[in-house]
Amino acid sequence: MSGESLRVAVVGLGKMGLLHASILNVLPNVEIVAFCEKSRLLRKFLKNIFDGIRVLDDVEKLSDLGLDAIYITTPIPAHFLVAKTVYLEKIARNLFVEKTLARSHEEAEELCELADSFGGVNMVGYLRRFGVAFRKAKDLLAEDAIGKVSSFRAYAYSSDLLGSEKGSRALSSRGGVLGDLGCHAIDLALWFFGGFQVDSAELTSSNKDGSEDSAHFRARNSSGLEAEFNVSWCMENYRMAEVGFSISGSKGFLEVNDDKLELRLKAGESFTWYRHDLQDNVPFSLGLPEYYREDLHFVESVWDGCSAEPSFYAASKVDKIIGQVVQRAGESE
Amino acid sequence: MSNKSGKALLVGDNPFHKISHLSRERARARGDVLTCPAHAANLVVASLENGANGFMFSVSETTLSILDEIRESGEIKRLSLYAIVPYAYEYVRLANQVGGISGLARKFAKEIVLSGNVRGIAMGLKGVVRVDPISLMKTYLAYEISRIRSSTGKQANLRSVLLHQVITDMALALNLDWIFRSYLNFMSKWGIAPGFNTGNFAYLVKKFREWNIDLSEIIIAAPFNKVGFQMNPSREACEKALASIPEPILLVISMLAAGYLIPSEAVEYVASLRNVRGVAVGVSKEKHARETFALLREKLGH
Repeated sequence: MSGESLRVAVVGLGKMGLLHASILNVLPNVEIVAFCEKSRLLRKFLKNIFDGIRVLDDVEKLSDLGLDAIYITTPIPAHFLVAKTVYLEKIARNLFVEKTLARSHEEAEELCELADSFGGVNMVGYLRRFGVAFRKAKDLLAEDAIGKVSSFRAYAYSSDLLGSEKGSRALSSRGGVLGDLGCHAIDLALWFFGGFQVDSAELTSSNKDGSEDSAHFRARNSSGLEAEFNVSWCMENYRMAEVGFSISGSKGFLEVNDDKLELRLKAGESFTWYRHDLQDNVPFSLGLPEYYREDLHFVESVWDGCSAEPSFYAASKVDKIIGQVVQRAGESE
Repeated sequence: MSNKSGKALLVGDNPFHKISHLSRERARARGDVLTCPAHAANLVVASLENGANGFMFSVSETTLSILDEIRESGEIKRLSLYAIVPYAYEYVRLANQVGGISGLARKFAKEIVLSGNVRGIAMGLKGVVRVDPISLMKTYLAYEISRIRSSTGKQANLRSVLLHQVITDMALALNLDWIFRSYLNFMSKWGIAPGFNTGNFAYLVKKFREWNIDLSEIIIAAPFNKVGFQMNPSREACEKALASIPEPILLVISMLAAGYLIPSEAVEYVASLRNVRGVAVGVSKEKHARETFALLREKLGH
């Protein structure tokens, strides 16, 4: 590192950029040096609000600031170009990119290669890995609590776009529901169970740009594990986005979502954990405690010089599965 | 006030927005009846009859409709109102529906113009032209207060307007002390107690001391409960910060830890705390309203 503090810039000052900037600002030994934002009006506001933080309009202008790390929190379509510029212009070696890593698996693979050749820490913002209920589920699966897993069903639902104006610019910038929300269920599935292949898929869309509103797909792995995914951002009564799994094993059944974990064993015992039971408090909470843990993990990994998870490589597998879903859906039409 | 100590015993609005921090599944299972303004208004009035004396709500179309109903029932004057702004969820959703931040800004500007508030329009224009966040904040706050007043009528007792947790905590994290000062200054001119909703009570107290912001002049709404749920960084740190304050400025929220605790043990814990100005608790059934507020009146009202 260049000094006692980790010098960080945030590229893209939307909702996620502000959230990460806020948390980074309370982490010890982190200094926010610059913001990079495309919108002229927003840049003017940022300059009026923040003393001592450079506000720039172009990623390349970050190159002379001696940065240790960059957070890329732009809309997904810009991730690839921004990250590539950061590496090729040698602006910083340590990158955090909000999910998904890229628009396609090809772009994600190219970023993985760049990350390999330039070194440093790389991480993608799949925050649910830092949720206490999903962490507990991961531990229970690793302990073989439900025996050999035979199948699981996963869902990712929200009401975000229920009743929205179809084809609006806001929707286009978010891409489809797979990249916006479904990617969390895919990432958790890969984390819990390792790789799998998509067998069949259906996508539905009512947007002018053709991006999907909902997705249903089936997958399996080489050991015969069967999986089913349902994703939608037009569901009734999902005020907050929710991801969940129902997992069947030889010894029992595990059900987990953002708030709650239930373990039911065939031997008769059952257990339930809520966030309350799983030490969910953090030194500073904004949005969800998961965000603090996620940012702390990245920053500590940079300080310690060790790899962070989910890395670009782990996240590129999510982009690969999304690509397979789109391909299978196209084949079935 | 209907309780002897003058503590604020407030009906919270989370159930009326289908919010349960224990489990989203549970919130969905409650169905749509709670979001019906007439039903919700009845629950607020039932709570009033059993010891509640106020209503804490995020300013949204749902809660404004509930206030309309309460005003029509003639009960509005009995309530102290504690409003939380902005209702972040509604604005994010609206942005999705009207086409992003620019669509939201257009809608917001149109509503301010249609409100005929000449001072507000001028202040908003100044904010945009000069890229002045303080003018924009004042315009926004005046707009929200006018929305509340148009539902409640002028006779209602708007006791406090609290900044939403996301805004408070983001401003705290980014060291934007001028936001807090401007807010305090603006609210004092309106004669409304300034408040802050936070998920980082201990951090807020520490920062306000550093910035020489007078804690005795404000209201803080923060989670306090027996199991330490949402009490960051820890229950002990929040209790210590609370004990260090000279005035009762705390409005306890999440007393029941989102339904994890039973009311009797939850109230017992709150009664053991000093510097509590009041409690806000959501109720989803008339029976809950009766039992919860009767208990609060008994344990906190003396």
